[in-house]
Amino acid sequence: MSIDKRRRVLAMVLVSVVCAGAATAYMGIASRRDDQVMDVVARAEGGAAISEIVRQPHLLFRSTGLDDAYGRMMLTPINRPGQPLAVTDLECRRVHFSGSQGICLRSEQSPLGGADAVLFDENFKETTSFAIPGTPSRAQVAPDGDVAAYTVFVTGHSYAQGGFSTRTAFVEMATGAEVGELEQFTVFRDGKTIHSPDFNFWGVTFESSGSFFATLGTGGKTYLVKGDLAAKEATVIAEGVECPALSPDGTRVAFKQRSDTGVGPVTWTVAVLDLDTLDRTTLSETRNVDDQVQWLDDDHVIYGLPKEPQSPVTNVWSVRADGTERPRLLVEGAWSPVVVR
Amino acid sequence: MYTSVRNRPPGTASPKLSRGTRVAGNVVALGLVSMFTDISQEMVTAVVPLYLTFELRLSPLQFGLIDGLYHGATALVRLLGGYFADLRERHKEVAATGYGISAACKLGLLLAGRAWAPTTGFLMLDRLGKGVRTAPRDALISLSSPHEELGKAFGVHRALDTTGALLGPLVAFFLLAAIPGAFDAVFFVSFCIALIGLAVLFLFVHNPPPRAESSSAVRISLRRAFGLVRGRAFRSIVVVGAGLSLLTMSDAFVYLTLQRTSDIATAWFPLLFLGTALVYLTLAIPLGRVADRVGRARVFVAGHVALAGVYALLLMTWLGFVQVVLVLALFGVYYAATDGVLMALASGVIPEELRTSGLALVATAVALGRFASSLAFGAMWNFFDSQLAVIAFLVVLLVSVPFAARHLYASQEARA
Repeated sequence: MSIDKRRRVLAMVLVSVVCAGAATAYMGIASRRDDQVMDVVARAEGGAAISEIVRQPHLLFRSTGLDDAYGRMMLTPINRPGQPLAVTDLECRRVHFSGSQGICLRSEQSPLGGADAVLFDENFKETTSFAIPGTPSRAQVAPDGDVAAYTVFVTGHSYAQGGFSTRTAFVEMATGAEVGELEQFTVFRDGKTIHSPDFNFWGVTFESSGSFFATLGTGGKTYLVKGDLAAKEATVIAEGVECPALSPDGTRVAFKQRSDTGVGPVTWTVAVLDLDTLDRTTLSETRNVDDQVQWLDDDHVIYGLPKEPQSPVTNVWSVRADGTERPRLLVEGAWSPVVVR
Repeated sequence: MYTSVRNRPPGTASPKLSRGTRVAGNVVALGLVSMFTDISQEMVTAVVPLYLTFELRLSPLQFGLIDGLYHGATALVRLLGGYFADLRERHKEVAATGYGISAACKLGLLLAGRAWAPTTGFLMLDRLGKGVRTAPRDALISLSSPHEELGKAFGVHRALDTTGALLGPLVAFFLLAAIPGAFDAVFFVSFCIALIGLAVLFLFVHNPPPRAESSSAVRISLRRAFGLVRGRAFRSIVVVGAGLSLLTMSDAFVYLTLQRTSDIATAWFPLLFLGTALVYLTLAIPLGRVADRVGRARVFVAGHVALAGVYALLLMTWLGFVQVVLVLALFGVYYAATDGVLMALASGVIPEELRTSGLALVATAVALGRFASSLAFGAMWNFFDSQLAVIAFLVVLLVSVPFAARHLYASQEARA
């Protein structure tokens, strides 16, 4: 081995050691930073019993306060939101609950990007669970609690395309068995069937166990479709409607309205579409809402917003569904709210 | 270094062919550079979708659009970088610029915090780095290897490269499993690994010795670089390479079709890529050596026969486990028989002083062909259905392969 070569090998070893050391040190700092977040005293300490809150109309939501309960499902009464609070053992990215049945989407970081869905009963006890193929996005249970729909981002390996696809499937709540996948449905528009490989579906909202609304994304546009689970059919009924939520009286859908400036991230505002007249009302919330909007009652919708831009802490807000009045803060440190009456 | 060998006129027999997998030190070093860079690169690529949706809340559609537009700019940079590397005989330096840009971008992603504009900017710049480095790297591989062993040399490089691509996502996900949500740690570790790759490049990769007086008298100009296509052997490689890449379904479409006609759960989607990559990295060296022995053009054409096999299997109404494995294996064979082999084939007909420009031209032609293929396949699927799109690709491929083979063999023989 020549002196020159020996010197180069030595330099290589040195660079490797320095790089490995720096990487390890950074990992050390990053993991300690996590611990600090966890040390904050639990906000819900001394909180109410679950049984007490579930007796009255309540909100179920994902806690996003920086404390021990981060990511856990919490409960609070609708008439006095925020006090008292109860913490469940469930930890979810997305949650929905209806007809004494709930679905909870969890994501675990694994080499395969594995995630799963947990179905639970009114005592927040797991009844069944199954793997879901991708990153959790949306979840909804039908009013009767017998079927649910969920959406995941399927993040396959498409290096050159930066492309994404979503997958939206229906499951039977009693067994967790899949009973339909939206991409297999026949889609009608103006009486003709349409199909494209870039079809993506997301954001199901149920009218009944057999009938639902959802978003279809294709060719850079979004459409509101109305679907029939048994017939495996869906029909386009409006354009530019994303993440619909059907009002309790079934006459309107609240949705995210895309404002795409061409530069920067897409932003959304909340709007309401009258299903009879197809009239749209933009609500008075001016901030960017990227959440599955829910109806608090026939006059109000609720949604989550980051506390500050890019903050992991989110708050749930409420605004009137007719475009009047300013939004008002409903629950602090909450995300993915579900109204349970 | 094979200095004595590489100064021989191409095509003459070498005194002794090495039997084993021994290749020039430069090739192994470049393979390691690519391996470390790919670990670093794929770590980031694997987590970017998660990062953009959960942390930045950026629309995937928009990212895809910018990404598509960006491909055009990369082609131009690649050609100019290749020309500059030839002009100054600075292959290593141009490659280092590309690797350096990509490494710096990992640090950039970290410093961008959670702001979307700098983040997407750095992701784009990262791709630019990739565009700059590829052609000079392939030129260095070919200039460091004897003509008879080009296939093997590219095989060794591609095997190491693919190993990195396999390890990257694993490293990233284990990091995120250890510290949930710590994307910054992924970016930092990715940066550190990229630095190791850069160090290997600086310390162990050498530019080939300067050209002899006689050849440096040959003026290198952009016109001469593009004039390469007037040579029959080179032109046929560009035409056949681009033409056949036009008939190559993109990975995403192959896996999507596969997943839809088989029982494979969507959760196994990433494993499809893994299966193909494993076959690719296992066969890259053996097929490279076979190409050196029986002719690179033949192996390149045979790779497309394997691709036709993939299409034929995709047309079956239902695919069981065995058929899925067969599809992945054939797809891996296709990659191993075409990717590095095409570069080896082209290297054999491009004069040394224009090696980088020539390889950049071939790579750009192939990339454009692939892009057009994706558009065509997507459109056919859109207006008809996926079965018909696969049938169309299969039929045109089967008709084209004999023509491509005859054209390619004739032009190579005319040269010899």
